[in-house]
Amino acid sequence: MNKPQSIPRVSLTWLLIAQLLVIIPHLGHLPLWVVGLWLGCAAWRVQIYRMRARFPNAWLKGALMLAAGIGVFVSRGSLVGLDAGVVLLIAAFVLKLVEVRTRRDALVLIFLGFFTVVTAYLFDDSMLSAIFSLLPVSALLAAMIGLQQSTLATRPWATAKLAGSLLLQALPLMLLLFLFFPRMGPLWSLPGANAKGVTGLSDSMAPADIAELSQSSELAFRASFEGQPPPRNQLYWRALTLDRFDGRRWSQSGFARLPLQPSWRKQGEPINYQIVMQPSARPWLFSLDVAQTSLEGTRMMSDFRLQRKQPVDRSLLYNLTSWPQALLEPAASTETLRRALQLPDGGDPRSRAWARQLKQQYPQDEQLVQAVLRNFNRQPFHYTLRPKAVGVNSIDDFLFETRSGFCAHYAGSMTFVLRAAGIPARVVAGYQGGELNPSGNYLQVRQFDAHAWVEYWQAGKGWLRVDPTFEVAPERIELGLEEAVAGENSFLEKSPFSPLRYRQLAWLNQFRLAWDQVNYDWQRWVLGYQGAQQLELFQRWFGKVDGRWLALCLVGGGAIVLALIALFLFKPWQHQRDQQQRVFRRFERLLARHALVRQPAEGPRDFARRAAQALPGQARQIQQFARAFEAQRYGGQGQSLAILEQHLRALRRALPWRLT
Amino acid sequence: MRSQLDACLSAVNEILLGKEQQVRLALACLLARGHLLIEDLPGMGKTTLSQALAKVLGLSFQRIQFTSDLLPGDILGTSVFDKDTGQFVFHQGPIFAELVLADEINRATPKSQSALLEAMEEGQVTIEGATRALPDPFFVIATQNPVSQGGTFALPESQLDRFLMRLSLGYPAKAAEKALLMGDARRNLLPRLAPILDHAQLALLQDEVPKVRVSDALVDYVLRLVEATRTQPQFAWGLSPRASLALLAAARAWALLEGREYVIPEDVQAVLPSVVGHRLRERADPAGHSGGTLVQWLLREVAAI
Repeated sequence: MNKPQSIPRVSLTWLLIAQLLVIIPHLGHLPLWVVGLWLGCAAWRVQIYRMRARFPNAWLKGALMLAAGIGVFVSRGSLVGLDAGVVLLIAAFVLKLVEVRTRRDALVLIFLGFFTVVTAYLFDDSMLSAIFSLLPVSALLAAMIGLQQSTLATRPWATAKLAGSLLLQALPLMLLLFLFFPRMGPLWSLPGANAKGVTGLSDSMAPADIAELSQSSELAFRASFEGQPPPRNQLYWRALTLDRFDGRRWSQSGFARLPLQPSWRKQGEPINYQIVMQPSARPWLFSLDVAQTSLEGTRMMSDFRLQRKQPVDRSLLYNLTSWPQALLEPAASTETLRRALQLPDGGDPRSRAWARQLKQQYPQDEQLVQAVLRNFNRQPFHYTLRPKAVGVNSIDDFLFETRSGFCAHYAGSMTFVLRAAGIPARVVAGYQGGELNPSGNYLQVRQFDAHAWVEYWQAGKGWLRVDPTFEVAPERIELGLEEAVAGENSFLEKSPFSPLRYRQLAWLNQFRLAWDQVNYDWQRWVLGYQGAQQLELFQRWFGKVDGRWLALCLVGGGAIVLALIALFLFKPWQHQRDQQQRVFRRFERLLARHALVRQPAEGPRDFARRAAQALPGQARQIQQFARAFEAQRYGGQGQSLAILEQHLRALRRALPWRLT
Repeated sequence: MRSQLDACLSAVNEILLGKEQQVRLALACLLARGHLLIEDLPGMGKTTLSQALAKVLGLSFQRIQFTSDLLPGDILGTSVFDKDTGQFVFHQGPIFAELVLADEINRATPKSQSALLEAMEEGQVTIEGATRALPDPFFVIATQNPVSQGGTFALPESQLDRFLMRLSLGYPAKAAEKALLMGDARRNLLPRLAPILDHAQLALLQDEVPKVRVSDALVDYVLRLVEATRTQPQFAWGLSPRASLALLAAARAWALLEGREYVIPEDVQAVLPSVVGHRLRERADPAGHSGGTLVQWLLREVAAI
């Protein structure tokens, strides 16, 4: 082992610690064998340091690499893609450890470490993980500092302290960059790892899906209102409408995907609010009816849902204005209405018969709707998250046999009946309610707040919202799911440790709400600080600015700062006056082409003597120049650069031409 | 005048074989009105060099052999009662000569050493209340055995600083030693040396030294050297302004000996080891004699242009 190149003990210690810290945030999604691999490699490297083991040879390294590649392929089914890519990166990061011989290798490992730290943000961008990532960064810095220390240094803490203080010193710069660095759109887009396998609404609904959702306490989004939030029973967060029924499932028809702007009329007071959405892997946004947003790349679709061009694969902040009393599509197209009357060809005969009977009984559509709602209210329907099984004719079975279910059952069957009676209707899926965080005055809407309700259409009045669930279990709407299923203890029954189950413990609840608010602020002010918010801040501080002007200022300011630093470092005014020295440097460069390099402490006369010995053919010219230079510079005689230049030209002519 | 200097040099080189560089340095030291410390083992020609220099420069010569029981009075002189006149008469000590050889100065006690060193600094001595001027010119060539030898009192740094240069003669080259062995005894040749310069000529030459031109660029080089000793970690302490003045004076004298009217960096480099070697200590070894390696570092690392 080449001694001066070897890794100092302090650096190796910190490198091992840093690797552990870099891997920790990835533990959630790493296959277990990678952790084993790290343990093995770390032990091996330590044994190498203690001279009890050897570095692996090329064959062994190749085999290890191949094995790691196969391992990734087996456990992830691919070598590309975000998840597999990160596993591969970490495996490489771990394997590199056993072939770290020289400082250069260690530097490669450290830089790879920094990159791996960043990849953790692709999986988790919460505040805790951001704060945690300071640890591996400090450790990597310490390893880097340790590399520059003597091999005799044995106190790792001093190194870590230095790394910490460096990081602290970088803090103001970090803040400045955070505030002012322009946010550019991504050059390429990765399939969001955040959104992988998240629970949430999908574009088709069988009742079981919502039952599953109601077991999840994961956050769907948070909303903060300007002023008081609307009352709870008005909080119907629309996500999408389901207008196709195949006898079992409600789903979104192809028509709903067409970019058709529906007609609507603003009425009543608008509500302004802001939503921070958790990644959902779906393109639609949540809003109260009927909403407008300034978010780029978002538009309203034919069923009043807001849809983004790309799926929401990381937290998204957007501002909305809603008109709850607006008229929705008072004059709908025949195509829309035809879609809203679609039913499967056969099945559920009892429901259809009942619908026909209702139609005869109540020629007025609104009376018919009231009758259906009344039916839910009067008949022994039962709100439960554990509905009884239904057969092939699911609507019939639910309406006339089991009569137990939750929002999806009620909304689905009501829409079915209305359609069978000739009233255009559709299921709306979204969330209902939310938990108010009193200290932050914002709502948290969780997956178990998922809800489905009904919209039917009346000429001149547009789409009207009715919620059959309210008729069965008003407490679901007024108080939330927990109260609605209080009798059967099915609230979050699969997550016994969720703090949401212990809301009656005041301190725990308070802590939970406070912590949630911290996270919410993190999302709003740190993660949400993107293009529009940044520009808004600048405009508040610097008055009216546009992006181009700002970019110019940033580039110009950066250039000025760099120029000042360069001036400070190079101090050109100290070199300006020395013309003689400049000519002498040219003399040196000329001779350097002939492999004659002046040592820094070599005086002009000694150098000329050496050069004259090496180039006897040009000795005369060399000596002439050196004498002239010496006389001018030290003798103060004939301060004429022209003479020096003349001697220099003579020397250049005398020297054979040679490339450097 | 050049020719006279060259004649002096060659005359001394006749006596002291193969030591051209040291002879030239010694002469430069005297031209710059500095005192010279020669440090070497016994028998290397220290005394011969000083005697030869005194001879060719036409200076009166006195030798004081320093021993551990030497007293200041032995150097400076004492008042003796003259019974004929009934008065005390001052008897000049050996220091009242133009060139004084203080042999094996580090064998004497610090008290006696400082009597000599005071005289060197002031150019006069004060004995029993009366101040007596020393002759002009006045040179001291002190010799000392290497500190490691037994029975020595090392000169403190403050007193080393009084000497412009410290030289070491070193063993002669083989050819020179052969010539030495084949030829006459060197001491026998000494009386035959004729003085080449008289006092007036020597004073004239000494007055020439400060007139040698020192350019801005050269002062910058001296400053870089001094700066390096003050900032680099391996130096226990930096050079004093007295040292940088001494360096410049010695470089001027060297340039004069070379026959140039201006100083070039090579002059500074030529005198650097003998002028600053005894004024520097390595931080790792502040008590030792490691000035030499530090000087080599300066000669290697400090940019000359």
